Amino acid sequence: MSEITKGGRDPLDEALASLSADVRPERDLWPEIHAEIAKTPILAPASRVQTTWFRLAATVLLVVATSFTTYYITRHSVQPQTAQNVEPLPAPVTPVQPASFSFGPERLGAGYMNARAELDKRFQERLATLPAADRAKVEKNLADIRHAADEISATLAQHPSDPLLQDLLMSTYQSELQLLANVSDLPSAGSMRTDL
Amino acid sequence: MTTGAGTHSSALTADRSPLSDSALVAAARKGDMKAFERLYRLHSGKVMGLCLRMTRRRDVAEDCVQQTFIRAWRSLAAFEGRSAFGTWLHRIAVNEVLTHERNHGTRAESDGEAVEDAQAVPMESHREYDAGEVMDVERALATLPPGSRHVVVLQTVYGYSHEEVADMLGIAVGTCKAQLHRGRRLLRERMGLPETSDE
Repeated sequence: MSEITKGGRDPLDEALASLSADVRPERDLWPEIHAEIAKTPILAPASRVQTTWFRLAATVLLVVATSFTTYYITRHSVQPQTAQNVEPLPAPVTPVQPASFSFGPERLGAGYMNARAELDKRFQERLATLPAADRAKVEKNLADIRHAADEISATLAQHPSDPLLQDLLMSTYQSELQLLANVSDLPSAGSMRTDL
Repeated sequence: MTTGAGTHSSALTADRSPLSDSALVAAARKGDMKAFERLYRLHSGKVMGLCLRMTRRRDVAEDCVQQTFIRAWRSLAAFEGRSAFGTWLHRIAVNEVLTHERNHGTRAESDGEAVEDAQAVPMESHREYDAGEVMDVERALATLPPGSRHVVVLQTVYGYSHEEVADMLGIAVGTCKAQLHRGRRLLRERMGLPETSDE
C-alpha cells in the first residue's frame, strides 16, 4: 500500500510504530484519584434477583401508600351510608390465605411484611362487607393468583437465577397486591371488578 | 494491540503486580483500593498517552486520566469482563476526551470538512521522547485535525480496528476509514515522506 523501505515496511508505518503507547503523567495522579474515590464506596454489583425484589418492594410501598390515602378519604365520605345499608356478614367460608411464598416476600424484610399485612387486613375487612357473589369471585381470583405464585416460587426455588421466573413471580405478586388494594379501596356501595 | 516499550518501561515493571488484571479487578470490585491503585499504576501510562495525543495538552490529558480512573472505579460493578480491562479503560478515556472537547468547543471534523484547513498546533514537547524521527512523527501527529488525529492515534498507536475505533468515537466505520486515509496523507506531507498510490 505504500512506499516500502529496504526493511520491507512503509516508513510512515515504521515511524508510527516507533511511538510509545505509554506516556507517564508528569506527576502522580493517584493521590487525587484516591481522595475522590474514597468518597464513593464501590457498590457491589446488584444481582438480578436483588433488583427484582427491590422493584417489587417499591411497587408495594407505592400501592400501600396510595391505598391508605384512598382508604382514608373514602372511609370518611361513605362510612355513615355503609353503616345503615350493610349488615355484617359472616366471615368467608374459606379464609383467604396469603401465598406461601417459599421464594417469598419475607426476603424483603419486616417493613415490607408489616405493610403487606396491613393491606391484607384492610382487604379482609372490606371483603367481609361485599355481597356474597362478589366476595366469591374475589376469593376465587385471589386463590388463582396465589396458587400461581406458589407454583412459580416453588419452581424458582429450584432455578433461583432464572430471570423469566423472577419476572413472572414479581408480576404475579404485583397482580395479587393490586387486587388487594383495589378491593380495599372499593367504595362501600356500587359495582366492582372481580376480574383483576 | 501495540504495546508500549517506552523509556519508562522499567518504572512500569517496578509497579507491575504478579496478579492479573482480572484478579485485581475482582479485588477492586470488593472495595480494595490497593488493588485499584495497582491497576492505576499498570494502566495510567497508556491512558495518559492516549489522552495526551488526543487532546495535545498535558494538563487536559491529566484531568482526563484522573476522571477516567474515577469513573472506572464508580463503574467497576458494571464491568463484565467481556473486553480487556485496558480496553474498557481506553473507552472511558476516549469518552472523557470527547466530553471535554464538547464542553470546550473543540469538535472533530465531519467527513466533508477540509482537513487541510485545520490549524497546526504543535504538541508541547515531552521529555519522554527523543529528538529525531520519533519527535517528527509525534509533532506531525499533533498537527492533524482532531477527527483524523483521534482515528490515527487509536488505530496506529493503540491498535484498535476500524470497527472498534468507530464505536469508541461514535462515528461510522466509513468515516473512520476516511479519517485514517486523510490522516496518513497529511502525516506523509508533514513528514516529507513520498505519497503512495492509495493515499
